[in-house]
Amino acid sequence: MRAALLGPAAALFLLVFLLLSVTSVGGQTPPPTGAKAATASAPAAKPPTPGQFPPYKPPRTADGKPDFNGFWQAFVTSDIDVRDHDAQAGPHPETMGAYDQWPGGQGIVEGGEIPYKPEALAKKKENAEKRMVVNVTSDDHRHDTGDPELKCYMPGVPRANYMPFPFQIVQGSDRILMAYEYARSLRTIYMEANEKAIPQKSPADTWMGWSHGHFEGDTLVVDSAGFVPYTWFDRAGDYHSDALHVVERYTQVSPYHIMYEATIEDPNVFTRPWKMSFPLYRRMEKNIQLVDFNCTEFVLDLVYGQYSKYPKK
Amino acid sequence: MSNRCWVQSTALGVVLAVGLLAPAFAAAQAPPSAPAKATATGAGSKTQSSATAKTSAIPRTADGHPDLHGYYNFLTVTPLQRPAKYGNREFLTPQETKDVFQKGLQSAFEPRDGDEEHYGNELFNPNSVDYDPTTFGLSPWQNGIKPNPRTSLVVDPPDGRIPDMTPEAKAAKARPVAPAAAETVDLAGSRAGTVVDGQSYVVDDHNGGGAVHADVPLDLGYGTTCVSPGGGAPIFPGEYNADMYIMQTPNDVVIQGVNGFRVIPIDGRPALTGNFHEWHGNAAGHWEGDTLVVETTNFHAGNTFRGANPKTLKITERFTRISAETIEYKFTVDDPSTWTKPWSVILPLSAENGPLFEFACTEDDYDAVNILAGARAFEKKAKEKANEKTGVPISQK
Repeated sequence: MRAALLGPAAALFLLVFLLLSVTSVGGQTPPPTGAKAATASAPAAKPPTPGQFPPYKPPRTADGKPDFNGFWQAFVTSDIDVRDHDAQAGPHPETMGAYDQWPGGQGIVEGGEIPYKPEALAKKKENAEKRMVVNVTSDDHRHDTGDPELKCYMPGVPRANYMPFPFQIVQGSDRILMAYEYARSLRTIYMEANEKAIPQKSPADTWMGWSHGHFEGDTLVVDSAGFVPYTWFDRAGDYHSDALHVVERYTQVSPYHIMYEATIEDPNVFTRPWKMSFPLYRRMEKNIQLVDFNCTEFVLDLVYGQYSKYPKK
Repeated sequence: MSNRCWVQSTALGVVLAVGLLAPAFAAAQAPPSAPAKATATGAGSKTQSSATAKTSAIPRTADGHPDLHGYYNFLTVTPLQRPAKYGNREFLTPQETKDVFQKGLQSAFEPRDGDEEHYGNELFNPNSVDYDPTTFGLSPWQNGIKPNPRTSLVVDPPDGRIPDMTPEAKAAKARPVAPAAAETVDLAGSRAGTVVDGQSYVVDDHNGGGAVHADVPLDLGYGTTCVSPGGGAPIFPGEYNADMYIMQTPNDVVIQGVNGFRVIPIDGRPALTGNFHEWHGNAAGHWEGDTLVVETTNFHAGNTFRGANPKTLKITERFTRISAETIEYKFTVDDPSTWTKPWSVILPLSAENGPLFEFACTEDDYDAVNILAGARAFEKKAKEKANEKTGVPISQK
């Protein structure tokens, strides 16, 4: 009996000993803050509610700003359509099968609909019908028809942020660069309000915008204009003019999420400003890097085929 | 793929396409500070080497490393390889430096075809038929060029010459020359090209690269079709657009060229595996004292410096900030299957005012359309001429 009674006591002793050693091992390599370590080891009270995040204070750069450095990616299907959309067959199901079927997805537009002017809505519908028409000329009409994504053109803003590709934020003190895997597009966000050499307005129209940024609390606010009128918001033909003005708000809500919001303004096309929002996710692969998606190479025959010696009929 | 004249014409075409605003704007900016002085001080001596560079006061980042951040110009009139008359002499005298620089500035900005010895005072061929670069803000004096006291950009081997190519590299480079002009179509002057056998338009690339076709888009090469991204390793000037931006954080260095950029991890993050063949290669950086060292391997086929072998090429770049105005940029090309030994270049990067403007190469590639459409027009005209000679009935024309 004695031996039997000692058994549980020894086990208890061993358990305490083990717990102590685990604690002391943890103590040798302290996590960034003790408070985080304590909450991390305790089970969460309940599974997280989508769209809701507990209060969060992001890490800081050397100059005290919220640190956005890292690799980010949206996981929405809005490149197909920024509004609610059913799954649909791609353009060539007879050869592409399931490789080229477009998933359905919920919209990212606040209120569900884009406030087009009546004539602009007609243009959007025409865009959608002609999204795969390619007629790249050597005159001013080269950008008249078709989805620029099809031709591997820079996706513009905000579309670049919800293409199904990662992008990297490289944050300096007077510039923030956003490097996109898709079509190797690059945005430079000028962070100093009155930098002498940097014009306030874009000196020429751009595909990726002319952007100034600042922080409002922990939110990065990016104000972009100076756009070419050729980029679209999605494959559904949603578009804008060269009067496009985009104000983006990037707010870190956890170590792994940015809540992204963009306000779109274009009096030539929309009756009022409208908003879209979605989360960006931090890519956590331990060896994460951007790799090439140099799609120009893949579209040469599509884009210039009509000038080839052997045009495809 | 050394289709150089077309690469040049692409860059020009796109500059034109974006409305000439960028060069005009850059030219309007005042230089940051007495720039000519900064690069000319070392003339006639060897004090410009990186070994003695640390003594000057240089800007530093919060983490203590030299601050490389900023805009730089690396245009030069210095020949890549040392002209024979200088022998083993590495530096020009101050007077020679001035003369070479002035002569370079006075000339139009078009290299004499294919002869890389003739950079510098002999580079710029005022009789160029291609275009008048001064019209487009492309002449050297409009682009922030600075004097360089070196006799050549190549500093190693000591004779300033690129080492011999290996026999296999020579054999791989040889390409047929364009056929003699049996059916020259005189639509556009001396470079109009030839329609071979009344069938296919061919132009000689005028750089010893041989015959160049324009049958299908990829015939134009990766440059003209905007497939090849700029901004890769090494940083090396063409005839214009020799502007760049460096951004530096504790974890990354971004090198942005006029057309393209690289994000280089410098914090020891794992590099991509050798299974990747990135257009800019696979780069990783680290600090050696005050020098940022970037090593790049695994290049993409068809997109290597001077046609090196993408499988065996390694480029090591060293960025040393030697003053507030200048980064000494040294790169070493090591490719045992292409050159018999490694060779190195020193190219000064001179601070200039930004910003860099967006370069929409793919989006505004008018050249690809015009060259292909032009080739078809040449072929059509040749066919018509042939038909005239043989008296084809009008009904069949």
